Amino acid sequence: MKKTFPLLSILLIMAGCSHSSAPGGASASSVAVPNYFHVDAATAGTISGSVHFSGQRPAKKTIEMSNDPACVNANQGAVYDDSMIIDDHNGLADAFVYVKSGLEGKTFAPAAAPVTIDQHGCWFHPRVIGVQVGQELDVVNSDPVTHNIHPMAQVNHEWNHSQGPGDPPMKRRFTKQEIMIPVKCNIHNWMHAHIGVVDHPYFAVSASDGSFTIPNLPPGTYTLEVWHDHLPTQEQQVTVPAHGNAKINFNFKAK
Amino acid sequence: MSASKLKSAMIVGILALLVGCGSSEKDRPIGAVVAISVPLGLPPVPIPADNVPTAETIALGRKLFYDVRLSNDNTQSCASCHDSKLGFSDGRRLSIGVHGLAGVRNAPTLLNAAYLPLQFWDGRAASLEMQTALPIQDHREMDVSPARLLFRLNTDATYRAMCEKAFGSRLLDMVEVEKSISAFERTLLSGDSPFDRFYFGGDKSALTAAQIRGLLIFQDPGRGNCAVCHSIRKNDALFTDGKFHNLGIGVGDDESLTDNGRFGQTGTASDTGTFLTPTLRNVALTAPYMHDGSEKTLEAVMDYYAGHGNSNPYLDPEMTKIHLSAQDKSDLVEFMKGLTGAMPQQAGPPTKE
Repeated sequence: MKKTFPLLSILLIMAGCSHSSAPGGASASSVAVPNYFHVDAATAGTISGSVHFSGQRPAKKTIEMSNDPACVNANQGAVYDDSMIIDDHNGLADAFVYVKSGLEGKTFAPAAAPVTIDQHGCWFHPRVIGVQVGQELDVVNSDPVTHNIHPMAQVNHEWNHSQGPGDPPMKRRFTKQEIMIPVKCNIHNWMHAHIGVVDHPYFAVSASDGSFTIPNLPPGTYTLEVWHDHLPTQEQQVTVPAHGNAKINFNFKAK
Repeated sequence: MSASKLKSAMIVGILALLVGCGSSEKDRPIGAVVAISVPLGLPPVPIPADNVPTAETIALGRKLFYDVRLSNDNTQSCASCHDSKLGFSDGRRLSIGVHGLAGVRNAPTLLNAAYLPLQFWDGRAASLEMQTALPIQDHREMDVSPARLLFRLNTDATYRAMCEKAFGSRLLDMVEVEKSISAFERTLLSGDSPFDRFYFGGDKSALTAAQIRGLLIFQDPGRGNCAVCHSIRKNDALFTDGKFHNLGIGVGDDESLTDNGRFGQTGTASDTGTFLTPTLRNVALTAPYMHDGSEKTLEAVMDYYAGHGNSNPYLDPEMTKIHLSAQDKSDLVEFMKGLTGAMPQQAGPPTKE
């Protein structure tokens, strides 16, 4: 029996069990390229103008950030609500201007360059942002705290996403026109932004002096709409001549 | 050796091969049964009928647990990823296995794993015994074949002697390896934490004021909503429901998930991206957190929950019921520090005999 031990042991040693696990799969899909409208640079024109607000300005509202000390530290001194910014000449910032009608039947390629919304100092920058349907939106967190951006879309898919300090940018796209999508941070209740999703490239956000420019338009007659977080929308018609400029001004008056 | 003797030896050997995978009389522990004492706050340990812990199987399992020969390149023991000094986890985002290969998920603690109805983040093992077998053979973990492992162990006289005492057999087989390690793991219990002394022991001074506030937030469905999955029962608390949930960890730009979790085992759509609720006992010792180790601190985990995680089609609806202020988050972290329990005795590396 002693002599059989090595052979037996080798056979026994080889006895064993096997287990396996299957990883998940992946799938790919392809999309047909639509027939995009080509703008003739020789005849394209520009709409430029401004947005003003006159009359009694709303009182400044202070923002309470004490819920997150890191946010307090990022903002020196008292912090005020920034949703209505009017300059010394009544220029109204962060108004969203876009071509509401006049482009029917034309399909435009989404802009290749992404637009970026940054969570910085416990604010969204910019506060109002336009993006084309299908254009990439990069969401950045440059703060030392976690944010959770939450575009409360109704036409598009609603989503929210957590980004901790140092997390990589997130890339998202919207598939349908929606004016406007309110955006909040699920963690910091004072953080708000608005995203205007337009199915063509003719939109702009007014600068700090209220000015805006919408370039590279095919000649034609258009209806422009202006949106602002705290004001009713306004519309105006404008005709863009071939290779020319059309001027248009929007004026809001305090009630 | 004569030809007939050789032939009979081969037949015996082949028969031994055939029983290698199944549990049989010969794989039953034969030593003195050990009653595993349960610390305050934990229920009785579930014991399988065919692997009642004995002093001998526990000792054998402990030796195996700390033995690097369980890995292909003799670098990894079970303790490499389940370090007694790190709450039986490894402190890494993803574990490092043989040949320096990174694993795909965060090493969970083994403390109180004996209570889990299913093992692993995706529940792919229905018992500790089944669990034990998988990392040993996983190519990214220990990557050793049963034949090679059993050769290494059975050529060591100490193991042969321990096997004889534990199972009455001359040579270890894989079932005995799995049973022994599992018997040892059933002793890795940790309770008697400040929370247990407060909640089950009636010691009202065991938790601080902040920790008591944290406990209330933990149990409040409209605030922390934590206990909905991290269960606390009337007479004991495992801080897990033993079930699988999608918290949105690993959601990519198109809302797809980097790891489909439980779905990989069941193929059921609603299991997509769900993972086993981990216990929160000793959670302060087992950073980083989540199945992919993506959250570095308890504070970061609180921020993740406060923001309702990452949306995806399979997100657990309980996620959106959470409402936490900064004070709440701080109190919850304090409460979780009160879940650090007494460490099991005789659980470290065995001393040389």
